[in-house]
Amino acid sequence: MDTLRVLIVDDEDDFRETIVKRLNARKILAEGAASGILALEVLATKDFDVIVLDVKMPGMDGIETLRHIKKLKPEIEVIMLTGHASVEFGLKGMQLGAFDYVMKPAPLNELLDTIGQAYNKKRGIVL
Amino acid sequence: MRVWDTSHLLDTIPANRTSSEQAYDSSDSQANLARIRQHFKQLQTRLILGLVLGFLLPNAFLSAHFHFQFTHTLKKSAALNLAAVAESQKNTIDLYLQERVVNLYNLFHSKDFTLEPTQAQMENYLSHLKQFNDGFVDVGFFDTNGIQIGYAGPFPALLGKDYSQEGWYQSLLKENKNYLISDIYQGFRKVPHFTIATRQVLDDRTYVIRATLDPDKLYIFLRIISQGKEVESTLVNRQGQYQVVDPGRRPLSGSSEYVPSFTSPSGVEEIERNNQSLLVAYSWLKETPWALLAIQPATVAQAEMYRSRWVLSISLITIGLVISTIIFFTIRRLVDNARRMAEKGQQLQEMLSHASKLASIGELAAGVAHEINNPLAIIMATSGVIRDMLNPEFDLDHNPEAICKELSVIDTAATRAKGITRKLQEMGKNRIPCSIPCDVNALIEEVVNKLKKVEFKSKHLELVTKYSPDLPNILAESDPLRQVFSNILINASDAITDKGTITIATEMQEGMVCVTIADTGKGIATKDLKNIFNPFFTTKGGGKGTGLGLSIAASIVKYLGGTIKVNSILGTGSSFTVLLPVHEPTKNHKG
Repeated sequence: MDTLRVLIVDDEDDFRETIVKRLNARKILAEGAASGILALEVLATKDFDVIVLDVKMPGMDGIETLRHIKKLKPEIEVIMLTGHASVEFGLKGMQLGAFDYVMKPAPLNELLDTIGQAYNKKRGIVL
Repeated sequence: MRVWDTSHLLDTIPANRTSSEQAYDSSDSQANLARIRQHFKQLQTRLILGLVLGFLLPNAFLSAHFHFQFTHTLKKSAALNLAAVAESQKNTIDLYLQERVVNLYNLFHSKDFTLEPTQAQMENYLSHLKQFNDGFVDVGFFDTNGIQIGYAGPFPALLGKDYSQEGWYQSLLKENKNYLISDIYQGFRKVPHFTIATRQVLDDRTYVIRATLDPDKLYIFLRIISQGKEVESTLVNRQGQYQVVDPGRRPLSGSSEYVPSFTSPSGVEEIERNNQSLLVAYSWLKETPWALLAIQPATVAQAEMYRSRWVLSISLITIGLVISTIIFFTIRRLVDNARRMAEKGQQLQEMLSHASKLASIGELAAGVAHEINNPLAIIMATSGVIRDMLNPEFDLDHNPEAICKELSVIDTAATRAKGITRKLQEMGKNRIPCSIPCDVNALIEEVVNKLKKVEFKSKHLELVTKYSPDLPNILAESDPLRQVFSNILINASDAITDKGTITIATEMQEGMVCVTIADTGKGIATKDLKNIFNPFFTTKGGGKGTGLGLSIAASIVKYLGGTIKVNSILGTGSSFTVLLPVHEPTKNHKG
């Protein structure tokens, strides 16, 4: 299976849906989840290569969700998505095992690059 | 249940509302320092005055008291001392006179005594007397008729003179005394002298022997006995006439302006002569009605007292000055230290408050950035989608309706960003106090009716209102106040998922207008409760909340001098209580 599977976790509906749409247009299997809890539910039934995770979300925040993901499926690479104020959360996420962090607002190319690098790293481990 | 309120935000609200804008200001800080300096200067003055007065005054009183006592004692002792001198000199003079009387009396009992003495016998008597004392000038023998029938001395013309009419002769016979000492007089010889006369009765006939004494010899004797005592001694009779004086000083037979009282045998008095205070001790002689006067200028008599007084005064002043100096410098140092500490504390506090303001500005900036980055991310992503749509490579739906739909997503995000910036402006707005009386009940009703049209429409909300009818109008700006209630009511409505009750109650509580807005919504988690008034703190996901509503409400209420309290039970509901002060209209007219 060569198709890259990506899960976008963000509470901003417009942002999430748009990114999913654009990734899909680039032949990436992308799906959205509106909160950390929904993301974990989706993860229970489906497998992904890369997860893009917003740090600031109501309810379960990005850091909390990251912990659960790394417990549940440690092989999945996670990219943290942060607003300006939460660079430290991005760094904290990396300490907890995230692959990288991307600052909002980021051009799609940057996000795609990071997703690609994360995917390569994951395949490297799998192979 | 947890209660959280905004009263801690009131710390910096001054009573005077016109100066409620709190900002770091270096002139303020200078004024504070000046106030601290002023305070400590006053403290220093008060401490020094208090200590100096508290120490020096009692000291001065005590010193004055002992000084008085001391002076009294010393004066008394000076007087006693002088009286003792007078007494002892009087005794000496008495003894001297007694000896002269005895010298003379012995002539009656000498071996060669006859009732008709020859000139040779008289010369013999005189030389005999002069052996005892060189004060004897001459000697005479009187028969029963008072005729001087025998004489030896420098005035031979006196031989054969009749003395029966002389005062001393008559009083000697009349007063039935064995001897008599006369006052100084000039007599027949016209030279001042005094005489000692003795009488002897032989065969019922009275014979008299008389000798004349030179007053200058008595003076020399007196001077010898009073030597080294800084005392001027003299003798006066009852009339005050000098009986013996320094011939250089006063004319003989002059009178003393001071005549001692004859009623007491001795005494001490203070008199004024030539503007000089004199201490005079007198003592009456036993042998003759003369008084011995011992005169001492008061300055001499009390010299020791004046010296002690001087030493005492100088040492008191010195000690007072030394202690005052010590007090002054010690207190100045202590107060200086305290002032420096207070100034440092004040500066530290100002720096802290400045730093905390900077920190909150930093937090605000970070929050603003984050909140605006979210809509910006949407805008970028959506414009990217439109570009993708127009790119045939991606094979996406690119008909105008689809593009329009994406454009409206951009609009929504832009509107959201605009909303955030506008609210920020409101929060930072420099309010001008333009208070008008507001009917809180009417104001809330107005807000509720407005909200019913839009925000409350989508839900099944039951609104319960308990307005207190006799609520006083409060002085406030109606628009900000409306915003406070509106923000709280919108939160209440948002907390309710679909169905619920919002209760609005107004009442007077301890002089404050109290508005309680309670909902039956989902409540606030304990960990969130302390953050709900912080800017950009929100639990509403999906870009629905900006996290500014309660922050703005709190800042308005704080500005009006009130507080907001929150009670919340997770899963049951929350209750916000706004307490607003009723400012008297009269007060406000002045301001």
